[in-house]
Amino acid sequence: MSRKFMINSHESGITAQLKGRRRGFTAIATVGIAASLVLAGCSSGSDDASSGGDNPLTGSTATNMQGKSLTLGYSRIGGWPPSAAPEAMFPAFQAYAKENYGYDVDLTFAEAPFGELFQKIAPTLAAGSQEFNIMIVDSQWLGALAEPGWIVPADKIYDLNPELDIEPFSSLVASTYQVYPDGSGQRWGFPQMPDTQGVFLRLDMLEDPANQAAFEAEYGKPLPTTYEEYEEIMMDDFVEIVAFFNDQDNGMYGTALQYSKDYDFFSCAYYPFAYSRGGEIWNPDTNQIYGVLNSDVNAAAMEEFVGLKKYQPASFATQGIGEVVDLFTTSQAFSAFQWLAIGKFMIAPELEGKVLAIPLPKFEGPDGKPKIVGAMGGQPWVVNSFNDDDHMRVSVDFLKWWYLPETQDSFILENGGLPWSKEGLNNETYLNSAPYVRPFKYMLEEGRSVDFWHVPEYAQMLAVQQEAWNGYAAGTVSSAADALEYTAAKQQEILFNSGRSEEPPPEGTASLTLQ
Amino acid sequence: MTEAVIKSKQPELIQGKTGKSAPRKAKSRFSSNTLWSGGLLVPVLLFFILMNVVPTIWMLGLSFYDYTLTSAKGMEFIGFDNYTRLLNDGPIQLAISRTFLFMVLAVILQTLLGALIGFLFWRADRMPGRRLALTLLFTPMVLAPLSSGLFWRLLLDPVFGLINYFISSLGFEPVNFLTNPDWAFTTVLLVDTWMWTPFMALMTLAALGSVPKAELEAAQVDNLSMWQRLIHVIIPYAKFIIVLGILLRTIDVFKTMDLVYLMTNGGPGDRTELIAVGLYRLAFQSFNLGYSSALAVLLLFIAIALTSIYLFVLNLRARKELKDQS
Amino acid sequence: MTTPDGTSSADLPSVRLGEASQRDRRWTLASLFSWVVALIFFAPIAWIAMSAFKTTGQILSVPPLFIFQPTLENFTEMFQDPKIPKFFFNSVLLSVGSVLIAIAVSFLAAYSFSRFKPPGTDFLMFLLLSTRFVPAAAFVIPFFQLFGILNFRNTYVGLIIFYVMFSVPFSVWILKGFIDGVSQRFDETGLVNGASRAHVIFRVVLPQVKPGLVAAFVFNIIFVWNEFLFNFQLGGTDTNSIPVALFTALYQGGAVNWTYVSALGTAYVLPLAVLIYFFQKYLLVGMTFGTVRGEV
Repeated sequence: MSRKFMINSHESGITAQLKGRRRGFTAIATVGIAASLVLAGCSSGSDDASSGGDNPLTGSTATNMQGKSLTLGYSRIGGWPPSAAPEAMFPAFQAYAKENYGYDVDLTFAEAPFGELFQKIAPTLAAGSQEFNIMIVDSQWLGALAEPGWIVPADKIYDLNPELDIEPFSSLVASTYQVYPDGSGQRWGFPQMPDTQGVFLRLDMLEDPANQAAFEAEYGKPLPTTYEEYEEIMMDDFVEIVAFFNDQDNGMYGTALQYSKDYDFFSCAYYPFAYSRGGEIWNPDTNQIYGVLNSDVNAAAMEEFVGLKKYQPASFATQGIGEVVDLFTTSQAFSAFQWLAIGKFMIAPELEGKVLAIPLPKFEGPDGKPKIVGAMGGQPWVVNSFNDDDHMRVSVDFLKWWYLPETQDSFILENGGLPWSKEGLNNETYLNSAPYVRPFKYMLEEGRSVDFWHVPEYAQMLAVQQEAWNGYAAGTVSSAADALEYTAAKQQEILFNSGRSEEPPPEGTASLTLQ
Repeated sequence: MTEAVIKSKQPELIQGKTGKSAPRKAKSRFSSNTLWSGGLLVPVLLFFILMNVVPTIWMLGLSFYDYTLTSAKGMEFIGFDNYTRLLNDGPIQLAISRTFLFMVLAVILQTLLGALIGFLFWRADRMPGRRLALTLLFTPMVLAPLSSGLFWRLLLDPVFGLINYFISSLGFEPVNFLTNPDWAFTTVLLVDTWMWTPFMALMTLAALGSVPKAELEAAQVDNLSMWQRLIHVIIPYAKFIIVLGILLRTIDVFKTMDLVYLMTNGGPGDRTELIAVGLYRLAFQSFNLGYSSALAVLLLFIAIALTSIYLFVLNLRARKELKDQS
Repeated sequence: MTTPDGTSSADLPSVRLGEASQRDRRWTLASLFSWVVALIFFAPIAWIAMSAFKTTGQILSVPPLFIFQPTLENFTEMFQDPKIPKFFFNSVLLSVGSVLIAIAVSFLAAYSFSRFKPPGTDFLMFLLLSTRFVPAAAFVIPFFQLFGILNFRNTYVGLIIFYVMFSVPFSVWILKGFIDGVSQRFDETGLVNGASRAHVIFRVVLPQVKPGLVAAFVFNIIFVWNEFLFNFQLGGTDTNSIPVALFTALYQGGAVNWTYVSALGTAYVLPLAVLIYFFQKYLLVGMTFGTVRGEV
């Protein structure tokens, strides 16, 4: 019996390469030229919708879509329930379109997690594709979508359909989901799901008389148990409560926040600690970051934020939205700092009636008064500017349907959605529909939340700070000041290189690393 | 005589011989042969040009432009600026050196472990259910790296993960494999080792199989110790295939991306940021097409260099075999 | 040992060399240890496969549950979602379709490389291999732009063409090795006896390199089956495969959906595990891209 092993060798070597080079180069050059010709010939542009009587941006009329049948493509954030709701609610739109405009419409969608959805849709838009006619996107992407002309200016649609222009509850709605560039008043997005931050607490633990007695004995003051008490609570007082319930030996952590490197998880969880104490992340007028972000206030805030790790699992540095949901719903954490939009999933069936949702606790502001400035979350709808006329009509029809009172009822009361209009947030039925609506409204008041940059460079800038800040949380970066210094320099470099800021980064920024 | 057969040079030898014995046929078929040789290549060439040459040229071209997909600025020709920027880019250089470190450690670890396991299975060539056992052993390497990253995230979870359950039941403190900066890099290394040690075991088995039976039997007759057999009989024959395995792993480790992206996302901080992940971020988070293309070109050159080494070793062996035969 | 006698070394011996016949098997210390090692390596996958039969609560239970009431719910739920069967269909279509085409074209090219050695053969073989060794992310950008222009994004045609190219390098390398192993005398004899070149290629050489075809098929299937990045970027809702499904639907209600990950991940690796059980003798040639042949 013999075993045979064969080695197929191949002469490669320099000589072979040299032999092939001449021929190869000619072929390569030919193909290259051909390819660039194709590229040049295909530069696409979308015609501006004519402002005539039958402008597709007006949506369908009773006749122009009669009998047609088409598919609406939408993109959504994977695993983010508010952006999945339109799919569940779609049959109602099908009926609406059939009844009012006489066409049949189906739905397709693509989804990807927060960090990757933009990676998914941007190439399609860059290719001029209408694969996604209408998109749920994160608010920070507005600039990246608007600048290359990939999305239809919302103002154009509002002009033709004034009924869509609903009065928002506060200016935060427009500044977060609609306007780009910041402060310009030009609108690009339509609010889909508004979102602010809050804290979820275990009401059953708060209401346990044994706990109340023990707390009073330990801290010499009563344990707050009602929403009203918590609405005005200071962070220091709140941390005492967290410490009180922190019982790690019995598998109960005091709280859970997000420190993950993924997407904007660390950043958004950290921002309130900085904002509320008067910290700033940039100067939006001059686009200056270096010298603004790397401040003592911000460093102290980051130390405080990361310092809360002692009430959390040792693996806190990988906690993202999902990990926090898991900790809270499996009764491993007494409290959790979380986006209120996900309230429906924080209150798992077995926790029904046992959860209190509150706004973020307050900090001592720069003027010494209690202050809270949270980070805005949430997503707008945007409309693809490469849509053909029919799909443009359907997209506008869809928006009209989406903002109908009965649609919003279904979104908010049955699908875990949140209202954002003045009328919606004064609607008692909505306010009482779930424990997280009231704190949401509180945080949406003027000045209580703020969104960060919307510039196209956001992803690059975000990646830098997520890496550095998560590094500080995990211990690969020695201090918060170092993490902020690095971030500020790198972000300044990004904005300087893109021509958005005239301020150059400090010497040697390019070769700077986190080590 | 060795049973490892080098094939590629043989057809030429044979052709040389037959060619001499029948020169007239070769002449009469000359044009038809050219036609056939070219014609058979057409489909592959078409694919190659469309899907390989064009994208490569494209990439090269982009690397000379300042071009960000999401910027209204459009494309601007900037010559070698992207490359000079690359030379000065701290995080990218750090990621490249980290990747090389990862490569060296992973390959050493996997080679040693793989050699041990391969040797074990070689000794156990009559084990019951060998085929099934080998299948179980090899499954990690056919698992999608993406699944692998996800699976390990669950297994290594400090709270409900299986691994930490064992660690704590042995009386140790649970380890934060993916968060602890002292552990994260090692953890990724170990998971990669879990996935790819079976490959080195496979190569070891192949290498051991290339040792002529007669030599082994002779060694047995001479009553050589296992150690002597290893040094004087096995390694001289086996080393070649093992070297090939080492090289293939080296090249492949350099590409590691899905696994890291899913398991640690390069974190904590930048501790597990390997260059393939960095490239992906540049291309798809920043959409900085020009700059990321420059990095891609650099990586292409590294890949070409590694491939050259691989083929050089293959040829070295082929030449030696030819010399031995003649 | 050379084979000028014309014995085709491409025919892998039909007896499994590494494996003794049934009656020769015995338990030794080495075989016991080998089994232990195999089980250790498989254990993580076995654990995930077990998790696929658990509820979310059971997966996240502390301490981990070793004995539990298995449920098929994860699988029934998974396949009730109309998208999952579609993703599976896409995975099968893309991998089988592209690999078959790749093998067909690679066989022709490999024959040409082996027999005619056209100028540039070495260089092309070298290029084929080296481009396949570049991190995938390097090529994604040019590809998505190219695909945009050709209107190939999110089409089966586009993705199949892409995966054909993805599979061609290894197929050519594997098949060239096998064809080199078939003595030229077969070709010569056939041609002297008046057979056409096509007859020689398809009737004489092809049947002798069947093992090479199988090896190329099995291994490229594994690579295409597991490919994520290009499918994610070049594919779309109609053409995405399982790895993309695994990734994009990873989260549910904000949290990682572990039942989904374990059920889908298990269902997805199973065909490959079966494949390497039945085609184990091709493992070596496949994993070394045809540069080393033999059995283990």
